[in-house]
Parts: sequence; C-alpha cells; structure tokens
Amino acid sequence: MRVPCRYNMSIPPLAQAKGIDVHRGTSKVLEGASVSLGAGEVVSVMGENGSGKTTLIEAFAGILPLRSGEIIWNGGDQSILVRDSDGRRNPPPPMGLTLQKGGICGDETVSERLATSLSVAGISSREEQVLDLLGHWGLRHRSKDRVSHLSGGLRRRLSILCGLAPAALSQTPMVVLLDEPSEGLDDTAKETLKGWLRALSSRGHGILVATHDKELSSCADRILTIEDKFLSETSGESSGEPSELSFSAQSSEQSPISSLIRWSTRMEIRNPIETVGRATPAIVAILLSYALVMDFDLQTHDSRLLAALVLAPAFIASISTPALVSRLSESDCGRWWDAVAGPMARPAFTITGASMILPIPVTYLSWFVLSGSVDDQVSSEVLRWLWIPALAMVDLAIASTALHLLVSNLSRSSAAPAPLLLVVMVWPFLELTDALSSIIDNGMSWGLSIHEPLVTCIVASIISALVWLSAVMIPDY
Amino acid sequence: MSDYRDPAVIITVAGLSCAAITAFLGFFQAPLVNPDSWNAPEAYRILYWHVPFAWSSFLSFTILFAGAVSWYAKRSERGWSMVVIGSELGLLFGSGVIISGPIWGSAEWGVPWDWGDVRLNTYALLTLVALFLVMSLRSQPDGEETRDTLAAVGLFGFILVPITAAATTIWRNRHPGVIFRESEETGEVPVDPEILQVMVFGTFSFMILFIGLVLLNYSIYNLRAELESLNREIDKEMTN
Repeated sequence: MRVPCRYNMSIPPLAQAKGIDVHRGTSKVLEGASVSLGAGEVVSVMGENGSGKTTLIEAFAGILPLRSGEIIWNGGDQSILVRDSDGRRNPPPPMGLTLQKGGICGDETVSERLATSLSVAGISSREEQVLDLLGHWGLRHRSKDRVSHLSGGLRRRLSILCGLAPAALSQTPMVVLLDEPSEGLDDTAKETLKGWLRALSSRGHGILVATHDKELSSCADRILTIEDKFLSETSGESSGEPSELSFSAQSSEQSPISSLIRWSTRMEIRNPIETVGRATPAIVAILLSYALVMDFDLQTHDSRLLAALVLAPAFIASISTPALVSRLSESDCGRWWDAVAGPMARPAFTITGASMILPIPVTYLSWFVLSGSVDDQVSSEVLRWLWIPALAMVDLAIASTALHLLVSNLSRSSAAPAPLLLVVMVWPFLELTDALSSIIDNGMSWGLSIHEPLVTCIVASIISALVWLSAVMIPDY
Repeated sequence: MSDYRDPAVIITVAGLSCAAITAFLGFFQAPLVNPDSWNAPEAYRILYWHVPFAWSSFLSFTILFAGAVSWYAKRSERGWSMVVIGSELGLLFGSGVIISGPIWGSAEWGVPWDWGDVRLNTYALLTLVALFLVMSLRSQPDGEETRDTLAAVGLFGFILVPITAAATTIWRNRHPGVIFRESEETGEVPVDPEILQVMVFGTFSFMILFIGLVLLNYSIYNLRAELESLNREIDKEMTN
C-alpha cells in the first residue's frame, strides 16, 4: 500500500515539491510527487537503480523541466518559485549541492573549488577557514592541487564537502541536496559524512539525500522510497552522533553570476585553451590570406574581397567551439552552475565563453598584414573606423557561443551537426563585409540609409542579437 | 506498411501526379517570357517548380513553428509531432528550392549563387536548420530535454522566415521580387495570364502534395510511437 508523503507541520518547510511529474527520456519517472523538506531534518531518498532518486534531487534543484507541479523554496521570509511546469524559473536561495557526478571542472584547485561553492551560496570565506574545512575531510594537504590530479575517492570527498560546507558556515537554515554521497567513500569518510549530516540538521538545515546505502539512510529522520514512479514514506532512525562543527563566516553580497564570471576567467587564465583554440586558426587564416594575395592589388580590384579577407580571421575565431563547452560538460559542471545560479546562468555562460577580446586585435592585425597595396589615405581612414565592424563581430561571437551551448544541451551533443546552425552566422559576417567594403571605397559615413556602413553594422548586430535571444531565452522557457 | 487505400497515400500520389503535370505544362505548354527582359528565357521554366517548392517550404516551417510553440506551451505530443513533420518537410521542400534556384541562377545570372543576396542566403540557412533538426532527431535519444532543445532550434529557424520575407523587398539584389503581387499603379499582375495559370496550377499541385505528405508523415510518426511502446512492453516482459 502506498502512503502519501506527510508534511511535518511542526517543522517549517525549507523546500517543497508539489505534485511534480518528471520525464526522463520517453518514460515518466515521477508522477504527482509531493515532498516537503523541513528545517532541521535529514530526509533520505531510496529506491532501486533508475527508480528516480537523482531525478528527484535534480528536480528539487530546478534543473529539470517539469510536466506538472512546482518546486517552491523558502528563503528568509519569502517563498520562491524555483521552477514550475509552465516554464517559470527563478534562482533558488543559497544552497549546498552535490551532484552524482560531482559537478567539478578538473582545472579548478581544491581550495578554489570549495571557496567557489561558498561564494555562490553568499558566504565570504577566509583562506584559513577553507583550509580548516578541508582538514576535516583529509584534503588540506591537497588544497593547491588541481582537482584533475585527485583520485576518485578524494574527488568525491571534495564534492561532498562542497555540498555541505555552505550550510556548515551559514547562520540561517539552508537546503542541502546530496546525490549518492556515500558512493566511492571509504568507511572513515562515511562516518564523517554521517556526523556532519546530524550536526547540520541540529543547526536547522534541511538535507535531502539520495542514496541506496542503508547504513547512511539510518541517520535520516524520514525515508522516502521511490517505487514505480510513486513515493512512499517511513520514519527513519535518526541515528549517529553529530560532529562538532564550530565554523562561522560572514555573508557576502557577491552574486552567483559574478562568481561564475570569476570562475570562468580563472579557468581560462590557468589553462588558456580558449584563447589558443581561437587565436591559432585566426592567425593561420591571416597568414594563408597573405600568402595567397600578397601580390594582388585588392583595393582597386575588389574591396569586398579585401574586406572579407580582413574580417575572416576574426569570424573564424568567433565561431570556434568555446572551451567553456568542454569545461561545463566535465562531470556535470554545467548542471551544477545551472542549479546554483538559476536561469541567468545560460546568458552568463554565453558572455563568459565568447571571444570578447580577440575580434578587435585580430581584425586590426589582419588589416595590417593584408592592406599592403592600399593607399595611405584610405588605410588611415579604415584604421580609424575598423573597430566598428570588429565590435559588431563581438556580438557575433556571443551569438555563436549561445548556439554552441544550445547544441551542448543535447545528451549526445557530439553526435549533433552543430556547424549547420553556425552557418547562420555567415549572414552577419556578410553584412560586416559590406560595411567594411563601403568604408574602404567611400570612407566612413554616418548616413542612416540601408546600405550605409553604420546601419549595416547595426543590422549585423541585430541579427546576432536575435540568434542569441532564441538560443538563450527559448530553451529555458 | 502503409495501405494504398489510405487517404494520405492517395492525396500524396495525386499531388505527385499534379506536380508532374505542372512540369509537363511548364516545359512544353507555357509560353516563353519576354527575351528582352530575361538573360535565359528558356531557363525560367524551372520556376514552375521552384516557386511552389518555396511556398511549400514556408508552410512546412510554419508547421514546425506552431509545433515548437505548442510543445513549449503544453508539452503536447501533437505539438512535437508537428516539429518532427515540419522539419522533415522543410528539409524536403527547402532542398527543392536551393537545388532548383542555383540551376536557374546559373543560366540567368551566370553564377549559381550570390553570397551578396540576402534572400538566397537566409533561405539556405532555413534549409540547414531543417537539416540540423532532421539529423538530430535521428541521432539523439528522445526525451524532454532533447525535445526542448530541438524545439528551440525550430523557433530560431522560424525567426529567419520574416527576415527572409523582408529581405525579398528591402535588400533585393539579384533575386526577383514577389511574383504574384499586384502593381501599385495599374492594379494588375504583371505576368502573362498563361504563365500565371500554370504557376497557379503548380502551386495547387504542391499544396496537394504537401497535404498528402503531412498526413503520411503523421501516420508514420504514430506508427513509430506505437512500435516504440510495443518494444517497451516486450522489454518489460523480457526483464520479468
């Protein structure tokens, strides 16, 4: 007999799923599931493999589309609709989250990762505090190491600590979502985990743990079991001694989006595959163009060809696959950011992942290399205004990144023909070619008729903006 | 296997036959256009298929758009079936346009493609969006997130349609403008009536073909869904 999940009326709920239907693939995994997570309780979600434990955790985090129902979190004194079946989505209040795959990019260092988890939860941490937290989980000596250098077990410890630490340092009750935290942990780490769970619940935090580990679920106050799409509930043992946690920290005003931008910049500085991956084909294109047309008087022959050759390297750099796509796909890192930053994560990704800086210097470099046969007066006029089409190329780069990210949403994104969509960007490129050609032939003019260079650049930017809007805004609707 | 008495099959065959008759009339019955106004007056005959192809592909993209909106609004299975059918027919008819267009362009302009012509380029892009959708529908596992992403691409493709239509009149370079529009001065359509008759017949032929293919693809979609559900039942029996 199935028993509907009860709401513990004595404990104010921190988060609620109300009548949610969730599909994975073509099958319905959860049907009409209603779950309430109260302050100060540990709720364990159990079930067989594929029963929907991860689906419930990810639905709570707001990263799965719902067929019906809604997810509501209570942050402070207000209720926040995190996601509903009509596509409405809002950023959740600060939380701790450990996904099944960890959600960590291998280029991050151990301490950096922990500090990032804290900062997205609105907690300002000192280095000593971070080291202290790492020490509890036997990771202090690894604080400067990249996550990619850790063993699987240590990486798992880190991802669990990143899920628990925001609550450990928070003064206000917080939701903590943990997906299979005991997977890959040794016995000592499991004991630490149980102690932390009891300690955090005693401090008023609400913890939802998906697990098939009966030993871990023994420390839960309630146990939800998923069977054949439906939830049933039993009381838990609430066993285990709480660990002594004496951390405290100040809250910070930093938003998850600014944390995301700083994270993205730091990853690129540490391992600049983005810059190298875009600049290399651009420079090769400049050199190839130079080798092919070095003895050719392009200006008198065809200014459109010259304009196209000058802009092509920046175009190639702009439409190359952003390194961010592979960073986000590593261990579900993108899903983690999507959960903690909410619906604004995607637009932020398109800006942080785009080639924002390269188009302008590459376009000028290209002009210097290819404009040998152009007379000085024309060249100085072009140099004065070349930044306008180069700047519009930045819009094109952002739109291209949005398309790459859209395709990366697909579960087999490597099997999807992404370049077919990128051909769309040829059109703004041709508009920019027209604009530069017009500047070469007639100099810069500020007229507002349809074929004037300024208007043509604006048209290119509008097309890029339309592409960006449809690639970024529609999927989250 | 489709039953040959199925209305979808009958309408499709009728549409194909009428399209073949259009080709015959276009090549052997319709008069030549004014040789002074056209560089390759004989080559214009391909337009009897090119224009209906274009109309049909616009309709296909409209179905795709309506389906994508419906999928987002209601998560309806019918909406998703429209996305699938719209993208497949968009690819079919769009390919017809971008294959027949350059053949005519080679003869009339001396070049098969003009990268400066906005309408040509946007049309090719529309067809590539359809190709992306068809290839992704085959390569990706069916599921909520896949459908969301592909429906987004469908909406994105449809945004190109008004741009393409605007490009016809605003940025017209080489490509001729709208053919059946009345002259603002005389109120008449500036096309030989016999040519117009064949063109209208061609358009109706392709409409019949289009309707037949929509119905046929819908039957195929439903059969695929039925097959999948039967397979799942067998999977369950095998595991038990």
